[in-house]
Amino acid sequence: MPNPQEFLRLAPEILLASAGLLLLLIGTIGRGLSNRQSALVAVVSLVLTGVDLFAVRRSVPGRLLILGDSFVIDGFAIFWKALVLIATALVILLSIRFLEEGGYRAAEYYALLLLATSGMMLMASGYTLLTIWIALETMALSSYILAGYFKRHLRSNEAALKYFILGALSSGILLYGISLLYGAAGTVQLGELSRGLADAVAAGNVLVPLGWLLLAAGLFFKVSAVPFHIWTPDVYVGAPTPVTAYLAVASKAASFAILIRIFYEGLGSLQDDWKWILAGVSAATMIWGNLAALTQDNVKRMLAYSSIAHAGYVLIGVLAASEGASEIGLWSAIFYLLAYTFITIGAFAVVILLERKEYAGETCADYAGLAQRSPFLAAMMVIFLVALTGIPPTGGFFGKVYLFAAAVEAGWTWLAVVGVVTSAISLYYYFRIVVYMYQRDTTETAAVPLQAPALVVAIGFCAAATLLLGLYPEPFIQIAKSSLISLGGM
Amino acid sequence: MLNDIPILSIICYVPLVGALLLLFLPKDRSALIRQLATGVALLDFLLSVPLWFAFQRGGDLFQFRESADWIESIGARYEFGIDGIALLLVLLTTLLGVLAFLSSWKAIATREKEYYVFLLLLQTGMLGVFMALDFFLFYVFWEVMLVPMYFLIGIWGGPRKLYAAIKFFLYTLVGSVLMLLGILALYFYNWDGLPVWGGLHNPQTFSILQFHEIGHLIPADLQIWIFLAFFVGFAIKVPMFPFHTWLPDAHVEAPTAGSVILAGVLLKMGTYGFVRFSLPILPEATRELLPWMAGLSIIGILYGAMVAMAQKDMKKLVAYSSVSHLGFVMLGLFALNGPGVNGAVLQMINHGLSTGALFLLVGIIYERRHTRMIADYGGLSAVMPVYATLFLIITMSSIGLPTLNGFIGELTILVGAFNRTWWWAALAALGIVLGAAYMLWMYQRVFFGPITNPENENVQDLNWREIAYLVPIVLLCFWIGLYPRPFFAVLDQPVRYVVEKVDAGLDTRLAIAPSVAPAASTGTAAAAGE
Repeated sequence: MPNPQEFLRLAPEILLASAGLLLLLIGTIGRGLSNRQSALVAVVSLVLTGVDLFAVRRSVPGRLLILGDSFVIDGFAIFWKALVLIATALVILLSIRFLEEGGYRAAEYYALLLLATSGMMLMASGYTLLTIWIALETMALSSYILAGYFKRHLRSNEAALKYFILGALSSGILLYGISLLYGAAGTVQLGELSRGLADAVAAGNVLVPLGWLLLAAGLFFKVSAVPFHIWTPDVYVGAPTPVTAYLAVASKAASFAILIRIFYEGLGSLQDDWKWILAGVSAATMIWGNLAALTQDNVKRMLAYSSIAHAGYVLIGVLAASEGASEIGLWSAIFYLLAYTFITIGAFAVVILLERKEYAGETCADYAGLAQRSPFLAAMMVIFLVALTGIPPTGGFFGKVYLFAAAVEAGWTWLAVVGVVTSAISLYYYFRIVVYMYQRDTTETAAVPLQAPALVVAIGFCAAATLLLGLYPEPFIQIAKSSLISLGGM
Repeated sequence: MLNDIPILSIICYVPLVGALLLLFLPKDRSALIRQLATGVALLDFLLSVPLWFAFQRGGDLFQFRESADWIESIGARYEFGIDGIALLLVLLTTLLGVLAFLSSWKAIATREKEYYVFLLLLQTGMLGVFMALDFFLFYVFWEVMLVPMYFLIGIWGGPRKLYAAIKFFLYTLVGSVLMLLGILALYFYNWDGLPVWGGLHNPQTFSILQFHEIGHLIPADLQIWIFLAFFVGFAIKVPMFPFHTWLPDAHVEAPTAGSVILAGVLLKMGTYGFVRFSLPILPEATRELLPWMAGLSIIGILYGAMVAMAQKDMKKLVAYSSVSHLGFVMLGLFALNGPGVNGAVLQMINHGLSTGALFLLVGIIYERRHTRMIADYGGLSAVMPVYATLFLIITMSSIGLPTLNGFIGELTILVGAFNRTWWWAALAALGIVLGAAYMLWMYQRVFFGPITNPENENVQDLNWREIAYLVPIVLLCFWIGLYPRPFFAVLDQPVRYVVEKVDAGLDTRLAIAPSVAPAASTGTAAAAGE
């Protein structure tokens, strides 16, 4: 029987999930809560969770396994939890006006966001393959509903259905891989799995490769790496845009958290096998993501492919650490995801501000002459696009430099070459929006109304963070580094 | 006195502060906007002039040093400092900056606020490139400056501006990202590739001076890879044949001020890269690839000149002449001796002055007649005598007539090239002849003969503002042409430093390697580098 005190270490997750359930309850009783009231409740519960998370951080200096070694509290987990909380708070800021215009009930929406977020936080702490899987499903099931939240829209329905079917399939594959690994190693606990698998391989167990390949395929699906990315563009385009931002950022960050933990702690002994798979997937993802983005005219679809491409860059960092490049290894991937979070949410926030009547305003042409109509908005978008391309002085630049540095140091120079060439290619499609904003004239002269204060705050915050990460990245590098200190298998 | 204040940072960031100030002005106050912007550029120039006097000839190699922590995790520092080469380029940048701003007053009629903001940002980026003594910092400035240049071409350019702007951006970005990989390889070699103190790492650093120190210890094959990575970045910027195709597009479409800065300063960043990084850090690769470099330079000289001769558009002609002139600079650098490198650096300045002035002059006539076709003109000397005179002086400077600056630069380069391999100089001299041919032929068709086109009969001659921004260039051309000694005096020390690094690389390697590392571990050095 676990010590009840151990539950305190998971208090942030429990708090957030309870807040979500409470919101669901009071939001639907009688007249329920208005959009703004529910948003306020959601943000307040996120803040409280953050405070609680900070308290947990203070009480657990190193690494602590709890609840029968099924969860772990360490710097790595805390980092991702904090990142997911910040991202979710920003997504809520993005959602308020969007839901008002769409005319949908808000309480359930925010409740689902909170539940999905608590799932993500549990993912970051999961220490057995099964707890990780259950946390993953908590996140995924809420996300499916969120993607289809605009139920009167065909595209939203389509997105939800595709997401659900393919997501369920990938979860099944993941679970099948887990079962094979359990059969081979006799454990699902990450700390013991690595040794168990090494023994099984030594004993000639042929199920091990199949098991970890299936597990990896499931994880690649979740971070939308090629060739498991097919769902991404359709889901990103069809989902309500704030949900798209949420999937592109928070969901991806949490998925990378478990990917890193599983590969390094659970499959650590198989590094020599999986590093080639990881390298191939990383290269394919960078190449295909960027090439496919070149031809997109819909901005959300373009950002979808760009988010695929960015997953490829992050994988470089994950991979480079496997060569014992301890100095610039994993923290480059973590720093990149940190920068990517702010940049991507910022870019989606601009898209949302431009969208009228729910989905209108998504094509490049809708950006024509924006610099004349709304110079502030256009300038912010330039910052985000420059950062996505990886040009200084932005966080995106440093993120990429560290990743490529990690690759060069680990001897994966060819991967770095693929990375730099594809980032140069990405300039073309990112700057197509800049061309429309600054170099095309438009008949429309009305400025884009900035009457959504929450959105403007989110845009300003993301732009400031993007520039700060680009001008003085040192403190953030320290945060990323310190989150790795207690990660096992390093 | 100048050493007590961070004078370089001030010069570098004054334009940035100016740009931020401009953002707060209402965009319909265009007179105020351009006066303020030009004022900022002028202030920046005035701030930079004292550098020339305070710079101690024969003092430290790099002066006005500034140093601060920046990104400790990877050892990147905020390091500023200039030697004689950078000093001249900084002064050229601030001077051409003022002229570019003045020339924009009438030429730019739309979206002026944005225009001046971008021009000021560009200024900060370029100055930072020449001042940075940390490779990482250098790279940041090197890339930052692409964005404003993209907008300058892309918004205020000619009819094919969209194509030209993105082509410029893509080309230079591909070059710079590959260069970044070279920087990283160098960085990691310095950090854990060197065989010093068995197993202990060198401190992580991007310090250019540290790279200069360890350059000759890098194994030859790694040197060649790094050299090629740098080469792509710098050669596209120069531009060397066959990487030059973005240049005519960018030049023709860019507004006048954009062309002036592009030709005057931006191209110099490529040659500056070679002289600051490739040559001193990678001496062995430099010598190994010398025939290729010299060959491409000579092809560039001749090819640029011949293509220039065939042009009907004045701006395109000047653009191709840049390819030819920059070929000279590259040839001088790769002569790898005192005269060659001295001449090359001086020719960078000369080219900045004379080509900058040529673009200004073409811009002036374009503003009046809205055409740059040579065939549309003829007999202009009758209606625009002042213009014709100034144009003639600049033409002569570009050709390399004695008493003007171009002569000094080209002659020194030829001396250097001749010392290295005599027939290089012979082929390059052919380029001078071709240069005289296309420039004089253009001058003849535009200015002499009867006025064939009635529209040219009432063209206004230069006004005070235009004279004001051309005269300083003309004076400088004469100064360098008649009394170049002060310039060579500044260049002497850094050029000798570079030449020693390259030329003596092999010998010093033999002399230094044993004292730095035990003989046994020299083998490990080679192995680690492979």
